[in-house]
Amino acid sequence: MSVCLFCLFGIDIITFLTDLGVFFALYLIVSLSLNLEAGFAGVPNFGKVLFVAAGAAISGSVCGRLAAIILGINTLGDFTGQSARIMPQVNAILQNNIPLSFGLLLLGVLLALGIGAALGFLSSFPAIRLREDYLGMLLLGSAQLFQIFLGGTRDLVGGSAGIQVPDVFKWAEALGVRDLAVLGVVSGFAVLVYVYLERTARSPLGRTLRAVRDNEVASRALGKDDVAIRRKVIIVASAISAMAGALLTFYAGSVGSETWTRYEWTFWIWVMVIMGGAANNAGVALGSFSFLFLFKTLDIVKLHVQLPVDMNWIEYILFASILISVLIFRPGGILPERSSVTLPRATVVAIMGAKQGDGRRPKEQTASALQATPPDTERRDQSNSTTP
Amino acid sequence: MIRGANLVAPYVIENAIVYGSLFGLMAIGLTLTYLTTKVPNFAYGSFVSIGIYTSFTLYKVDRINPYFGTPIGFLIGGLSSVAMYLGILRVLARRGSSLVALMISTFAADIGFLGILQIYTDQLYYHYSRFDAKDFYPLGTDFSMFGLPGMFYVAPISLGLITAALYLLLTKTKFGVAMRASVENPGLARVLGIDVEKVYTVAWFLAGGFAALAGAFYPIWLPASVNEGSVIIVDIFASSVLGGLSSIYGAMVGGLIIGASEILVTAVGVDLIGSWVSLYQLGIPLIIMVITLLFFPQGIVSIKWRRLPRRLLSVNWRRFLPRFARRD
Repeated sequence: MSVCLFCLFGIDIITFLTDLGVFFALYLIVSLSLNLEAGFAGVPNFGKVLFVAAGAAISGSVCGRLAAIILGINTLGDFTGQSARIMPQVNAILQNNIPLSFGLLLLGVLLALGIGAALGFLSSFPAIRLREDYLGMLLLGSAQLFQIFLGGTRDLVGGSAGIQVPDVFKWAEALGVRDLAVLGVVSGFAVLVYVYLERTARSPLGRTLRAVRDNEVASRALGKDDVAIRRKVIIVASAISAMAGALLTFYAGSVGSETWTRYEWTFWIWVMVIMGGAANNAGVALGSFSFLFLFKTLDIVKLHVQLPVDMNWIEYILFASILISVLIFRPGGILPERSSVTLPRATVVAIMGAKQGDGRRPKEQTASALQATPPDTERRDQSNSTTP
Repeated sequence: MIRGANLVAPYVIENAIVYGSLFGLMAIGLTLTYLTTKVPNFAYGSFVSIGIYTSFTLYKVDRINPYFGTPIGFLIGGLSSVAMYLGILRVLARRGSSLVALMISTFAADIGFLGILQIYTDQLYYHYSRFDAKDFYPLGTDFSMFGLPGMFYVAPISLGLITAALYLLLTKTKFGVAMRASVENPGLARVLGIDVEKVYTVAWFLAGGFAALAGAFYPIWLPASVNEGSVIIVDIFASSVLGGLSSIYGAMVGGLIIGASEILVTAVGVDLIGSWVSLYQLGIPLIIMVITLLFFPQGIVSIKWRRLPRRLLSVNWRRFLPRFARRD
């Protein structure tokens, strides 16, 4: 059996890696946005699926209609019911029209950003007033309601049956590199989001966020408007996660009310953030990658191993146990949060080196000063002091 | 047909009373867990699902009347709840985890319970050929008394009995007083020699039991599915929040209001607007929850009813009017 597994792995390694890459990029976007909210700003969002699904619904619904109108395809007044007939016609034209494809993609992303920001603004009204527990209940409930709303409103995404979405990567499919094209586009967005959020985290704003999270009263005393800061964070994070929803819709080629579940788009995201390390973007990236690697590997194992029970449900239990074990045994995650450095690292090292060379300081004070700096500075510092 | 006739139709009233009573039961349990551990239990819906499937299994596989099976449901639900408390929440609380970490852990526990239930229903499906195990209609085994369905009596009476029993337990017995002390001030209770953790464990057992009891009644009256717990958790939260999250009696009233208004408002909406309103039934508890949180976050028990008329009169209602309608 192991030989068989290896064979399959050997043949499909490219597909496996591109698939993993696309999902990693998409989930990275969402988990980084949750990290901004829950990790840095301390707003636990248990309704993440709401924003992702909203972005997907708006981009899938509007872009499809718009393409049909631009290309003059008769929708017979029932777009959602006819989408299986309309979309192949749209795709046939999109195949040779790369500018229109990218235009639609960009429009979808922008729409998703807009609707995400709007919903984030709406949900920020309770979010800035409520304690974590009340907020968790409210957002979880809102996400559930939104799913029911999508299922009931057939005109939006066709209810649970779903609608097809214009395939903006059709031109690449003709060349046989659709997955690679998707990977390129999606990882481009993921890198943008990562750089933006990492720069935010390292900026004075990032430190303000942590200050508001750790001690609201003290930060307020220092003149930080904690309400405004939290509102901005929720808006930005919701917009970003809606964008991921739009991208996944274009990749999958269809969207419906059942596409988005609490399990896959709230629970998984939390596993990634907590496993990787809250308030540490690199940790969250590592967490997302290891989680999805585990998941995709299990997907392959599923094909070859016959268990008396469905592997999907085993995964439910497995992921839940992973999350709880991380919370119990390593609450900081794989890469725990690091204290932020305000001065350039070289300056800090120079100062610390000077302090250690200065023999008059009592040892305890030096030790405590060392603890306040990030660990790698400490290591460099020690090597500096031993070399002379 | 006359519009609005549906509202007074007997089955709507029956439905509202039964639905409200079931949510009252569930909300009491959730409030008990919130009182003890101060964490909203996202896994609470799973205990309801456990009750639902105890009834389902007993009736469909063993042909036992689900009413006789309710004690078994109570026991299994209570034991799962205790297992979750001792195995996850107490471990985390002892390690000094934050509120958010505790919330995440209950969320994870919910997913774990859901996985177990899915496996269980798979077994029912494949090995016992219960092809409706994942999603089924009401069991249709209810008895009838004075021309009304049995559930119409059983649900409100159970709610009343349990509330009365809890009242007696909390005020008349030594254990109940110890329980109140541990909720009010755990540190001081420990100083007085109360085993706070034992008290909390009992509270969690009762909470899980009440959820499973309501769950055991649920399929007698309503259709259910394996995801039922994850859906109605929203209504349970709304009931508890409306009750103030700190009062068992508030939770009972909150559950009754949420359940009844969900049925009644939907019935009126279907009559006046159209049948599509029933799709958005779940929106009603959420709206009530938002209104509660915005206007009286301490819940319905915090409203001072005697002062309310005077306060409402003292409000300058004219400022809500559009400008041209004002006469000042």
